[in-house]
Amino acid sequence: MTLPLYGTASQSAGFCSNAARSVVRLRSVDSAAERHAADFALAGTREEFQRAVEADWPSILVVSDGSIDLPGAFKGRLVAVPPKYDYLADGDVIGFDHASRKFRTLYRRKSAHNSFLVTERCNNYCLMCSQPPKDIDDRWILSEIKESLPLIDPATRALTFTGGETLSDWEDFIAVLKECRDRLPATAIQVLTNGRAFADSRIVDAWKDICHPNLIAAIPVYASVDHIHDHVVQARGAFDETILGILKLKDRGQRVEIRVVLHALTAPIIEDTGRWLARNLPFVDHVALMGLENTGFAIANDAVLWMDPVDYGDGLARAVDHLSAAGVNVSVYNLPKCVLPKSVWPHALQSISDWKNGFVEECDRCDEKNTCSGFFTTGRPRFSRGVRAITAQRDELTTLAD
Amino acid sequence: MPPAAKLPAASPVEVAVDFDSSVQSLSALDAAAYRLIGTATCRVDRVGDRYVCRLASSANPQKGAVLTSDALKERFLNLVADENLRTRVAETTEGVRNVILALAFGSLAANQNDAG
Amino acid sequence: MARFLPPEAFGAATEDLSLLPFSLERTGTRQYLVANVVGDFIRLTEDELNRLVDLQVRPGDGLYEKAYAAHLITGTNQKAQRQLLAARLRSRMSFLQQMTPLHIFVVTLRCEHSCPYCQVSRQSTDRSRFDMSEETAMRALDIAFASPAARIKIEFQGGEPLLNFPLIKMIVAAAKQRSGKKLDFVIASNLALLDDTVLDFCKANNVLLSTSLDGPADLHNKNRPRPGANSHELAVAGIRRAREILGPDRVGALMTTTEASLDRVDEIIDEYLQLGLDGIFLRPLSPFGFAIKTKQFAKYDAQKWLAFYERGLRRVLEINRQGTPFREFYAALLLTRMLSDRPIGYVDLRSPAGAGLGALVYNYDGSVFASDEGRMLAETGDDAFRLGHVHHDSYNSLILSDKLIAAISSSLTQCAPECSNCVYESHCGADPVYHHATQGDVLGIKPLSAFCARQKGIMGLLLDILENCPEDAVILRRWAAA
Repeated sequence: MTLPLYGTASQSAGFCSNAARSVVRLRSVDSAAERHAADFALAGTREEFQRAVEADWPSILVVSDGSIDLPGAFKGRLVAVPPKYDYLADGDVIGFDHASRKFRTLYRRKSAHNSFLVTERCNNYCLMCSQPPKDIDDRWILSEIKESLPLIDPATRALTFTGGETLSDWEDFIAVLKECRDRLPATAIQVLTNGRAFADSRIVDAWKDICHPNLIAAIPVYASVDHIHDHVVQARGAFDETILGILKLKDRGQRVEIRVVLHALTAPIIEDTGRWLARNLPFVDHVALMGLENTGFAIANDAVLWMDPVDYGDGLARAVDHLSAAGVNVSVYNLPKCVLPKSVWPHALQSISDWKNGFVEECDRCDEKNTCSGFFTTGRPRFSRGVRAITAQRDELTTLAD
Repeated sequence: MPPAAKLPAASPVEVAVDFDSSVQSLSALDAAAYRLIGTATCRVDRVGDRYVCRLASSANPQKGAVLTSDALKERFLNLVADENLRTRVAETTEGVRNVILALAFGSLAANQNDAG
Repeated sequence: MARFLPPEAFGAATEDLSLLPFSLERTGTRQYLVANVVGDFIRLTEDELNRLVDLQVRPGDGLYEKAYAAHLITGTNQKAQRQLLAARLRSRMSFLQQMTPLHIFVVTLRCEHSCPYCQVSRQSTDRSRFDMSEETAMRALDIAFASPAARIKIEFQGGEPLLNFPLIKMIVAAAKQRSGKKLDFVIASNLALLDDTVLDFCKANNVLLSTSLDGPADLHNKNRPRPGANSHELAVAGIRRAREILGPDRVGALMTTTEASLDRVDEIIDEYLQLGLDGIFLRPLSPFGFAIKTKQFAKYDAQKWLAFYERGLRRVLEINRQGTPFREFYAALLLTRMLSDRPIGYVDLRSPAGAGLGALVYNYDGSVFASDEGRMLAETGDDAFRLGHVHHDSYNSLILSDKLIAAISSSLTQCAPECSNCVYESHCGADPVYHHATQGDVLGIKPLSAFCARQKGIMGLLLDILENCPEDAVILRRWAAA
C-alpha cells in the first residue's frame, strides 16, 4: 500500500491572502514544546479538537471524515483532511496551498526515509525516470524547503534531496544545503543528482565550500560506454559530463555514491560496468546497484526496459565480486532476496522507502522476510518469476535438483 | 673401410629481406632488429632505394630453438609490421598523450574547465 | 507527450573519434595483447586492431564498446577520459612522493653459515673488524632521518646481524629517541642465534623478524651449510618460537631459489604451509656476491625458472581452492599493479628505479650504497652503486649524486628501447643494478635480460589465469585488494 503523501484538504479556514502557501508543522494537542508560528495542533477526533481549542492552539489540523463546526470563539487557522491521512503525527511538516487546499507531506519525523523534491526540471530524460521532468518554473519549492528547515527535528538522522535535477538552480540549492549545515548539523544529507553540473568547476567549488560534515552526492552511471549511458538518460554528452563531475568532486575530497538502475539496457552489461567502476573509480564512497521501480517513464518504456532479475543475477554477482575485490562498498537495493544469488545477499539492503514498500502473500512463509527489501508498491509492480518464500525445505529441494 | 664422411660445420641460418625505403622507415627496422637480439643479428644496408636487412640466426639463441630461414624471415617481417603499427599509433596519439601527461603532472590549475 | 530517441541518436560520428595512446604485442597468429596508457589489458584480433587504428568503429559494433571502455578511443571533444587517465596515472606514480622509506643497516659481515649463493660476502665469525661502529651507526641514522618520508623502515642485515645484537639495540633506542618519523624495524636473520633475550627485545620494541627458509631440510641445508648442518632445524625452531612469542604476523620468511630448488617447488610450499606461514615469495636467484663466484647464477635460465614459478603458483592456487588462504607475494605485488592504481614502492618494480630513491644501504664500514645488490657488487670490486660515505655525505648529497641520477635516468623504462612501447611497461620496473651486474649497462639489452623474460612470463601467466580460470581469478583479485 503506497502511503498517500499528496492530497486535498476537505476544509480550511483562517488563512490570509497575502501569501499563497504555508508550511505547517503538526504538534500533538498535549505537546509541551515551544510553539512556533507554523505549528498546528493535530486532532484525530472531535474530542481532541475540543481540547486543542481549549488549549488556545491558534492553528489546528483535524483528520476527519466529516465537516467540522467551528466554535465561535475559534478565530485561528483550520485545515481538515480525510481519514486516509491518519498517519500524520507530531513533528511532521506539510506544505499547504491556500487557494486550492492542496497539500503535500514534506517530512515525517518518525520515518527513516524523508526526501525533499527540489524541482521537477531536469536536463536528462531517463527512459525509466520515476519522476518525469517538467519544464516549469517551480522555484517556489526551494523557498518552501527553506521555510521547512527550521521546523525539522535536529535529531533527524538523514534527509534526501531529489528531483528532477537537484542542481537545476544550483546557487539557491547550495544555499539550502548551507541552511541544513547550520540548522541540522547532525543530519546526514544525500543529494540525488545526475552529476553533470559538477563538470563546471564553479559549481563543484561552491559545493565544496558548503563544508558540510556529512554530505554525499548520489550519481547514476549506467555503462562504461558513452552512447549507452547517453541513450538511457536520453541526453548527448551526459556520460562525459557526469564522469568529469565525479572526478572533480573527488578531486575536492567530496563524498560520492554511484548508482546503477538495473533493467534490460543496463543489466546485461552490469558485469562490464562493475568491472569498469572497480578499475576506474574505486575511490567512490559507495556503489548502489538498484532494482527498477516500475513507475513514471518506466511504464511507458516497459517493452524496452523490463528484464526479470533472475536473468541478470549471475552478471550482478560478478559485478559485486569485482567491486568488493577492489575494496569498494557495494550494496544491492530494491531487489528481494529470493531473486538474488546467495553470494549477493550480504550486500542486499532494505532500501525501499517505507511509504512505498510492501510484500506479497508468498512472503508470509519466508524465512528471510525480516531482512529483505520487499517490493515497490508504486506504479505497476512487475514481479520476477523467481519470487518465492525462502525456507529450509526449499534449499534442500534446490540441492537435490543440482 | 673408407673414412665416414665428415659433416660440414653447421653454418648460421641467413636470410635477406628488403624494403622500399620510400614507405618503410629505418627506425622501425632498427626497433625490430633490437627485439631480435639474442635470436638473430640484423645488418641494415641501403642499396639504391631499398633497405636490405641481412639476418643471421644466433648459434646459441637466448630463447627457443634456432630458427629456420623461413621462420626467421616471417618473424622479422611480423616484427617490422608491428613496429610500423606502433609508430603509426604513437604519431596519431602524440598530442593527446601530451595532454594526458600535462594533466597528470602539470600544475593543477584552479580553472579546470578548459582542460583538454 | 514524452518522446524518446533511439540508441542511434547517441552515437558519435567517426570524424569525432580520436585514438588514445596504447601499446601492443603480437601474441599469436593474428592475435594481439593491447594495453592503454595506464596498463589496462585487452585482447584484440589483428582485424580488430587494424579497424581500431583506422578508426573504423561505430557505436554498436561491439569493438567500439570494447575499445571505449578500455580507453583506447575517445570523443575528440570529450574531456572525462583524458582527466580520468591523468588522475590514474598520477596515482600510479605517486610512489615518488614516498622518498627513501627503507634504510638497511649492515651491522656486521660476520656470519656462521657459508651459503654458496649468498649475496652477502661473508667473513668468518671471529673477525670483529667487520662490525659497524657506533659512530657509523649514528651518522647513518642522521642520514635516514633526513629523508623526507614520514615513516621509515630500518632493516638490520649482515652477515648474520644477531652477531652484533648490542649495536642493533643501540640503534633502535637511538632511533626511538628522535622525533619526527614513524618507525618500523626488521631484523633479517637466519635465527640460529635467536634466544629469549632477542625475542624479548623484539617484542618490547615491535621489531619484525624476517628469515630465510629455502624448503625442506635437505634442500635448505644444502643451500646453507653450517657447522653442525642444522640450519633448517634452527630456522624452523626459530620461526615457531618467534611466531608464538611475537605473534604470527610479526615473522616472515623468504626463500631463495637455487638450481636444487627448481624441481621441488611443491615441497617448498608445503614447508611454508606446515609452519602456518600465510604465503611465500617465489624469488629468482640474484646474480650477486658469491653467486657469481661459485657460478650458481649461470646454472639456470629464465625459462626453467618460469616453469618452476608457474608450477608453484598453480600449487598455491590449489591450496586456496581447498580452503586455505595462502598467497604468492610477488604475484600479489604484480596484481596490485595490474588491477589497481595504488602506488607500490617495491624497489625492484618501479621506474624511476628504487635504487637510492627507495632504499639506502649503510655498510658496516660506513659506505652508503643505492641498494642491497649494489653493496654486493662492491665486494667484487665494482663501485658503480657506491654513493658515498656516512662521514662526509648527507642525505641530499647521496640522493642527488651524479652517480645515482645517471643510473636512474639512464634506466628509465619509459624512455628505453622496447620498454617504452612494451605492453607490460606500466606494471614493470627498471633494475639498473641487475642489468649493470649482468650486462655491464644499467639499461641493459632487454631481449637478453632474464629480468625482462621473467617479468613478461609472470604477467603473461597471470593474465592467462585471470582470463581463463574463473575460480582462480577470484582468488587472484582478492590478492590485489586493498
